[in-house]
Amino acid sequence: MNGLVCLICGQDRQERMTFRTLLSADSSPGFCRTCREKFVKIPQGHSCRLCGRDLGLMDEKFISGSVCTDCRRWEKSGGNGCFGRNIALYSYNDWMKEVITTFKFRGDAALAVGFRKEFRAAGRKIIGKDWRTHWERLRNGKHHPRETCVIVPMPLSGNRLKERGFNQAEVLAELIGEPVVPALCRIGGERKQSKKNRRERLESGENPFKLDEAFSEVLHGTKVLLIDDIYTTGATLRRAAAAFERADPKCVDSLTLIHG
Amino acid sequence: MLSSSHSPETTSFSKDLRQFLYGRECPLEEIPFSEQLIRDHVSAGWINLTDGIQTSGDGFFSSITGRKKYLCVRCGNANFAAFASITCGRCGRNCVYCRHCLNMGVIRSCTKLATWIGPAPDRAVPTPEEKLCAWSGNLSPEQTKAAAELDSALSEGDSFLIWAVTGAGKTELLFPAVEHALLRGERVVLSTPRTDVVRELYPRIKAAFPEIPVSALYGGSSERQPEAPLVIATTHQLIRFHRYFDRVIIDEVDAFPYHFDPMLAYAVKKAAKKGASIAYLSATPPADLKNAFLSGKLRGVKISRRYHGFPLPVPRFMWTGNWPQSLRKGVLPKSFIEWVRGKNAADRPLFCFVPSVRLAHLVTELLQKEGFASVAGVHAQDPNRHEKVTAFREGRIRILVTTTILERGVTVPGAEAAVFGADDPVFDERALVQISGRVGRSADRPDGDIVFFHNGKTLEMIRARRHIEQMNREGGF
Ligand SMILES: [Zn+2]
Ligand SMILES: [Zn+2]
Ligand SMILES: [Zn+2]
Ligand SMILES: [Zn+2]
Repeated sequence: MNGLVCLICGQDRQERMTFRTLLSADSSPGFCRTCREKFVKIPQGHSCRLCGRDLGLMDEKFISGSVCTDCRRWEKSGGNGCFGRNIALYSYNDWMKEVITTFKFRGDAALAVGFRKEFRAAGRKIIGKDWRTHWERLRNGKHHPRETCVIVPMPLSGNRLKERGFNQAEVLAELIGEPVVPALCRIGGERKQSKKNRRERLESGENPFKLDEAFSEVLHGTKVLLIDDIYTTGATLRRAAAAFERADPKCVDSLTLIHG
Repeated sequence: MLSSSHSPETTSFSKDLRQFLYGRECPLEEIPFSEQLIRDHVSAGWINLTDGIQTSGDGFFSSITGRKKYLCVRCGNANFAAFASITCGRCGRNCVYCRHCLNMGVIRSCTKLATWIGPAPDRAVPTPEEKLCAWSGNLSPEQTKAAAELDSALSEGDSFLIWAVTGAGKTELLFPAVEHALLRGERVVLSTPRTDVVRELYPRIKAAFPEIPVSALYGGSSERQPEAPLVIATTHQLIRFHRYFDRVIIDEVDAFPYHFDPMLAYAVKKAAKKGASIAYLSATPPADLKNAFLSGKLRGVKISRRYHGFPLPVPRFMWTGNWPQSLRKGVLPKSFIEWVRGKNAADRPLFCFVPSVRLAHLVTELLQKEGFASVAGVHAQDPNRHEKVTAFREGRIRILVTTTILERGVTVPGAEAAVFGADDPVFDERALVQISGRVGRSADRPDGDIVFFHNGKTLEMIRARRHIEQMNREGGF
């Protein structure tokens, strides 16, 4: 791949020359300004505390205390289990839909690289490997943090993996640049799952996600960060989180590229 | 009988599988037949499998750079930058894939492309006495001469260039050659880089050959007839074919993206049978074809007169002052507005070509503000593009503001044209000649105004005007 042209449109990435661009000399592949600006970023200061959606896109009456009604419903129903919160980077729009379709269904795994900077930064912040957290630790004299966080991509079933050729969640997880642990596997097809409506999905008891027992010791008492491409209803991520319960992790959070 | 112990798989092939695969190049996993059946056909030598991505990594170049060279066998992409790799969920290894032809389904290192190499299916050959062409119009003397030369070149298996002014009536002069090829039982494809052109040609070709199944292939088309001997397709769609057509006709050979995308030339070459003859049609042929023709290496004919016998309208230049600045202030230049007002009052359909999508939106908006009703803007990504073009053709839209996407293919009787911002670099000689060619196409309205609105004449504008004047001189005017 060529860092000078946009991964989406193939046009030159005409970045204005500034001191910053000169100094950082970023020649890694990415998107051009025009393509980037068509994505809708979620302002992290004004997002739902639990699912990460952009609260600015919601009617005030569906928000209370920085939490959206959907998440209130999850809290009330007691369906959260050990699932903590989700952070999402972009809202879903037509442009994102187009790009994600090419990424996920047409198999253009290379597109993920265009999201590396943001995804990596967000991931490292959650697991406490960003420079700010480092600095705080140094200032507070905690040089050897004992707290660890394990990155786990949402799995695909064997059939789906064969059909698609790659797991989009794994590709995203690898952007963070920390070890990725394939602790979950998925049994049973995804297709049936998505045809069911929300209630059916909640009510049907059996969990398609299974924890690989080999990892259960590693996960005991740690933080888990689940990675997926999109947070839709949150049901799938919560089911995946439930599969961790046997290993008794400290908490399970998730990071998704999109909320929509 | 017990004595004949041959299993049927080794002595006969599946006709359905042949019908599906013949003339196509298809990734193995997309063939809707059982894996066992396909494997039997491979071992019997009826189906050939090729690696989707070919790698050459042993050369000197790669030994010093550590880089391998890749070739996507489906689309011909050999540009290192247009490949990427992933840990493949299919084969479990690190697989390279082609980013260039992704939208037709991904091709990876582990993809096998299947082609039919067994006996070809029989074809229904029409009886020689049959008359296939139902077109009843008359060809002009220039068209008649060109049609005859094309017909004999294609019959003799030679390639041919038709270098014809816009509005020369290129489509009709293909009819005799196409008819004779069909009578010989050959498969003919009429291909063009532009979807709009396919959509315009399809009904005309179907009307001309009512007895023959005709397929129209473009992104999202539904006019697919299996085994149609006559196919009209965007050049892009030819990628799926493999050694299928006996005759290939490429209309608008200089149009974007054919001329800029080597993949499309590769697609044409692959879709054609070995040694198939190719006819190229253009008003502004690219340099390689032009030179081959002028030096006598490529047979061909030049038509400098429109079918109706009237000269090409010659563009006028009109100065607008600093149009980018006017637009920034939200006003259209006065000379432009006055021209549009005059034409609109005379009830002529107007094309208004602009240099960019942004300007298509802006100029449309400003014209609407000026009080013009039925103005619409179109560009390549416009989802309603086809509806708007139809509405313009039917007279429901009177002013169509467009990017160069409509520089060719769309014919509207009586239409006149303006190029707004003709000094912008997107308007090169070829584009300006094509745009000027939108005007005066019909026999009842052979005249019409074509104006280049500019803030300073460019060399390209002058070349375009000279080109048109030269063609008129050659046409005897
Ligand atoms: Zn771009
Ligand atoms: Zn929420
Ligand atoms: Zn593979
Ligand atoms: Zn390719």
